[in-house]
Formats: sequence, C-alpha cells, structure tokens
Amino acid sequence: MTDHRYTASELEDMGFPLSSLTPEQLEVLRDLTAEEAALLLDIKARMDHVAPEVQAHTEIAGAALF
Amino acid sequence: MTRLRVVLSATEPALRTASAELWSRPGLAQRYPRYLHAMHGVLRASVPLMERAALRCAELESRDPCAGRLRRYLETHSAEERDHDAWLLEDLAALGGDPAAVIEDQPCAAVARLVGPQYYWIEHHHPAALLGYIAVLEGNAPHIGLAAWIAGAAEVPESAVRTVREHAELDTAHTEEIHRLLDDLALTEGQVRAVTVSALCTAQALIGLFDHLVRTTPGRTAAHRTPTHLGARV
Repeated sequence: MTDHRYTASELEDMGFPLSSLTPEQLEVLRDLTAEEAALLLDIKARMDHVAPEVQAHTEIAGAALF
Repeated sequence: MTRLRVVLSATEPALRTASAELWSRPGLAQRYPRYLHAMHGVLRASVPLMERAALRCAELESRDPCAGRLRRYLETHSAEERDHDAWLLEDLAALGGDPAAVIEDQPCAAVARLVGPQYYWIEHHHPAALLGYIAVLEGNAPHIGLAAWIAGAAEVPESAVRTVREHAELDTAHTEEIHRLLDDLALTEGQVRAVTVSALCTAQALIGLFDHLVRTTPGRTAAHRTPTHLGARV
C-alpha cells in the first residue's frame, strides 16, 4: 500500500510482539504509513503507564458511545 | 477491511484498559455524571456528522464509486442513532442534574479533540474518514453487564444508566455492520488510509478523554457521592 515497508526487525524494535502476530497481522503492520505507525505506537505506549491491578480488571470495560 | 480490523485489534488493549480505569478508579459516583456530560458532547455530534458526510457523498456521487453506498449507509444509520443524546440528558436528570445546563456548557477540549477532526476530514478530505471514527466508537461500546455494575458501584438508580445499557445491546450489531460495509465498499488506497488514520486518531483521543475524566475526578470512594457533583462540568 505504501512504497516503504517496515521490516520485521523494525517492527520488533518498535515494540510489536512479532511472535504473537499472525502472518496477516504482520503484513498489515509492515504496510503501515509512518503516520499510522506513529499513532499506533502512541496508543500502545499508554499501556506502559497503567497499574497491573487495572490491567487485570478489564472485563469491566467499554465506555465509547456513538 | 482486514487492514482496519488488524490495526484496531492493536489498539484494543489500551482502549480496554483506559475504559476499565474509568469505571474502576475510586470516585465513580462523582465521575459517572461527568462521563454522561462528556459523552453528551460526543453523541450530540453523531447524527450531524453523518448528515454532513451524507451530503458530501451526494456531492461526490457522480465521480466516486463508493459515495452512493456510503451515503445510503449514513442516512440509514443516522436515523437509527437519532435522539440518543437525549437519553444521556434523561440519565443525568435521574441523577438530579440539569439537562439545560449540560446543553449550555461548552463541551470540554478532550471532547472537541475527539469529534473535531471528523468535521475537518469530511469537509476537506473525504467523508469515508468518518467510518474509522464510527468503527472505534461502536467497537468500544460498554460491555454487557456494565450498566448494572455502574448502578451498584456508583450507587445510582437503574434509570440513570439507560444509555450505557442500550448501547451495550445495540452496538455489537452496529460494529459488525460497519465492518461488512468496509469489506464491501470499493475504497481507493487513499480512502483506506483516511479511514485508518481517522480510526487511530479517534482511539488516541478517546483514551485522552477517558484519562481526562479519571485525572480530574476527586479521589473519593463510591459511597461518598454528593449532590453537588451531579451534572458537574467536565
């Protein structure tokens, strides 16, 4: 989809867990634009600041309304 | 559209955790009315966004193969979502809040950051971008059972959790519907990117809104709800 394609090693360096990705997921991530990758990394980074007890209780979740 | 499903699945842990914090942090009794107030600012824009996007599709129909199908979806879906913002006002009224004050208050910046980009992309790029926004919001709707949990944890009446309860039931079907539409639409590569960027911006801003609500709520226990916080500004 874009001229640039991320290598597996670049994605790994960004923090994507390659071992748990399906080939289809890997293909999509390799195809991200720089803007899409930056947005996704910003969202993923949010997990670094969350207390373990909250991560353990995500069954009480969902809050978006449209 | 497999691409969007994969990208959204990568955002799910952060979104799920942000919403879990919203419900599980101390002070839910104070935070819940502020959540309703903030989400009113979001929901009041849903139908106008779809109506504007449908008009833009009509303008594009003669030269854009996806515009006709997209317009028909938006017109149907806007009819389904009409007046849901009024449910939020009724929920707030059940808590003793003043609906007129909610309508009059300026929606907070976190709400504008969530909704605002859609107006820009509909107007200045392509109305298909709105599908990314809808996919994220419908895909992260309240879980089944959350309404009852809120009623217990925040000590609020069942009549104050209608919007959460109804959206938990409605939005699962809506999520499947929008992904079927994305599979069927013959979007160009540029339009696919527009949907993806819109979805990621929406996820980012939604997390920002939930974080804002958590950060700005006084840390109190659920049992310490006081009427002065009902309908409080976000």
